[in-house]
Amino acid sequence: MMTASHTSNRSMFWRIVRRLLTANLSRLFVILLALGAGAAVTAALLNLQIDAKRRLTNEFRSFGPNVIIAPRNSNDSTATLRPATISESLLDQLPLQEGNRPVPAAALLYTTANVTAYSDEGIHNTQLGSGLVVLTGFRVNSETRIFPYHVLNPNHGVILDAETCDVGERVASQFRLQFGGVLQWKVAGKEGECIVSELDSFGGAEDSQVFLPMESVQKLTDMPHQVSLLQLIVSGTPKQIEKYVASLQKQFPDVDVRPIRQFTEGEASIYNRISGLLTATVAIVLLLTGLCVMAAMTNIAIERKNDVGLMKAVGGSMRRVLRLFLVEAAVLGLAGGIVGAAAGILISIALGKAVFGVAAQPRLIVYPVAVALTVVVAILGAYPLRRLANIRPASVFRGEA
Amino acid sequence: MFFRLVADSFARRPRRKLLTGAALALGMAVATAALSVSLDVGDRLAHEFRSLGANLVVTPQADSLPLEIGGVDYRPVNAGAYLPEADLPKLKTIFWHNNIIAFAPILEFNTGVMARPEKLGAPGKVIKAKLIGTWASYPVKLSDGTIFTTGIEKTNPWFQLKGRWFGHAADANPRGNDLVSMLLPQDQCVLGEKLAAQMGVGTGALIYANISNGDELKAYWNAEAYGVCRITGIVSTGGDEDSAVFLPLARVQQFTHQPGVYRKLYVSALTKPEDDFARRDPKTMNADEFERWSCSPYVSSIAYSIKQVLPGADVRVVRRVAEGEGRILTRVRALLWLVTAAALLAAALAVGASSAASVIERRTEIGLMKALGAGSGIVGFLLAAEQLLLAFVGGGIGYSIGIILARLVGEKIFGAAPEPSLIVFLVILALAAGVTLLGSALPLRRASRYEPAPILRGE
Repeated sequence: MMTASHTSNRSMFWRIVRRLLTANLSRLFVILLALGAGAAVTAALLNLQIDAKRRLTNEFRSFGPNVIIAPRNSNDSTATLRPATISESLLDQLPLQEGNRPVPAAALLYTTANVTAYSDEGIHNTQLGSGLVVLTGFRVNSETRIFPYHVLNPNHGVILDAETCDVGERVASQFRLQFGGVLQWKVAGKEGECIVSELDSFGGAEDSQVFLPMESVQKLTDMPHQVSLLQLIVSGTPKQIEKYVASLQKQFPDVDVRPIRQFTEGEASIYNRISGLLTATVAIVLLLTGLCVMAAMTNIAIERKNDVGLMKAVGGSMRRVLRLFLVEAAVLGLAGGIVGAAAGILISIALGKAVFGVAAQPRLIVYPVAVALTVVVAILGAYPLRRLANIRPASVFRGEA
Repeated sequence: MFFRLVADSFARRPRRKLLTGAALALGMAVATAALSVSLDVGDRLAHEFRSLGANLVVTPQADSLPLEIGGVDYRPVNAGAYLPEADLPKLKTIFWHNNIIAFAPILEFNTGVMARPEKLGAPGKVIKAKLIGTWASYPVKLSDGTIFTTGIEKTNPWFQLKGRWFGHAADANPRGNDLVSMLLPQDQCVLGEKLAAQMGVGTGALIYANISNGDELKAYWNAEAYGVCRITGIVSTGGDEDSAVFLPLARVQQFTHQPGVYRKLYVSALTKPEDDFARRDPKTMNADEFERWSCSPYVSSIAYSIKQVLPGADVRVVRRVAEGEGRILTRVRALLWLVTAAALLAAALAVGASSAASVIERRTEIGLMKALGAGSGIVGFLLAAEQLLLAFVGGGIGYSIGIILARLVGEKIFGAAPEPSLIVFLVILALAAGVTLLGSALPLRRASRYEPAPILRGE
């Protein structure tokens, strides 16, 4: 008996909730619109925010190398005549970063040589000049561009069957070198030459260097498998970079691993600003969106005066009436949240594509969080109904108040 | 009568109007805050990117190729060309002078340095080091009489200094070998961290630099062969400068007998991210395009105008700094605009929902008005007027809240509040009006189709 009344009570409860929801469809639509919009924005922003920070650290790659691996005491020029070097094999031993991301790096070997520049390979070529330049042996471990530069001869052709070199802007302008020009050098009885395939502008020391394949310079200097230094692009938050540098130093105690402070520090301060800005903006937008939705909900809730009056008149206790409305709000919040948050995540994927060129990965955690937030906001929005506790049913029916 | 109806509507249900107004104000506050921050963020971040240091470097055009390996230039001192220091104030006369944040000339000199021996005349330990002559908080007198203070601490902001930078004397006094002249500002220097550790000296100590060209350094007391300086600070740079000595530019000029010249100039300039247009060669542009190009603070157009005022100079863009900056600025800006758009959308929908609700619940009133002979047009107009009034009040309040929020965010993150702008205010008001009207339009259209009789019967 007891159970029967309990069950019928419960079915009545849900029947009333159903009726409350479907009684006025245009109102239902308005509420769902407000809640759905809030949920969509919440989900989109949360998803975008998590994604954007990670992507931003990737964008810092465009600054080029931020960590150097150099021989110990390479600065002590008094130590030896022969410049200190490290093993080239380090380049292939670099550990992966968090998330199994490879670290793009370049190995460099420097030497100076007296070079003579010629206009082209032909027999009737003209000598353009000669002088000391830095020859740089260069090898990278990935496709990623290590040094940011501009190619000055963008539509160059292809050189086959010859050793090619890329020359820096200053070298090119000094010798008036063009694509296809020839550089010849003699170092300690060894001769060599290369054909210029690319003119590059770096805006740094690299502008006065000639870039050659690593093996050529190693042969030239008699330093097989040796390099002057390694330049790495370590991406991630300032903390992640620090951690990686520390672990690298631990793994290779014989070399000097040091961050390039200009970039690591600049990146850190910019990252902190941008992520702070994002967090602050997103937090404010979320907070105010919540309040906004709540105000809209409250607006709608208050007009339920008649319903409350009727329920009280037929003997509903305030607690039960309130429970009824809160359940209604929760159902609405859930519905609005489920639809809105899904829309929001889809939106954020598109937005991520618009900003970073790569679609933002949807984070599953965002979905339940956004739905839960929407339900909470909806319930909070319905809460002012409590004020209706002191409504006198009679006055409602008389049309007063 | 019309105004009375509107006023009455507000007076009769103040709470309801307050709630709709609150939703409006909050929504518009979000919009204002997001808009103000987005409008401002480009400039602020551009400033922030200057923490990466100089994005332009100036060298003499006729200079020989630097043989720079690991930060050490292996060219002999007397090889190559130099630029006149006297031209530098002209940097602040170019069209983009306000975008030039800082600059610092550099003159380097490779030599040996040693710490003061325990006993005068005793041999000291000589260490090879680079002397870097530059400016630190140097007052540059501009042609209009104002003073622009700049120097290496601004172009290389990642330098961490313990102590203080050296001073600059207004005029370089002839140097004697008495103790008094050692205390003059131009006799001060800052030591790189590694070199200081190697030499075992700290702030306040005296160091000696070999300035007699070429001769093997011998440790004896000779004012002709040695430059003396007192260490005012130890600098940590994280780069090759950690093994160098920083001195006033005038001092290194004195040492190398090259008065009034420098060899390298770092310039830190605020720039606009480069786009495809900016990367075009100015020589291939027609007059209009060139005008547009030189009137945008692209790093390349600033480089171009610097070249105009520094004859014989070669101005290069530091690609590492400039390109990364451009990319990230573009991204962040787009990101913030998106957040703003999302905020506007959410605000619009919530406000629209709120005003829709307020129309729906007034069915009885609308029915009554219609029964009394009001046409749909008048009813709609009346309700729209109410909503508009609400929109302007709510929008105005929202704007003020939003400005306060934007100020909080701006100050917390960039240490400077965005300027309130009139455009934002107008946009917000227009947005508030548009959103409320749109939100009310749908229910209003339905309301205009209401038959008064069933409504008044309460059906």
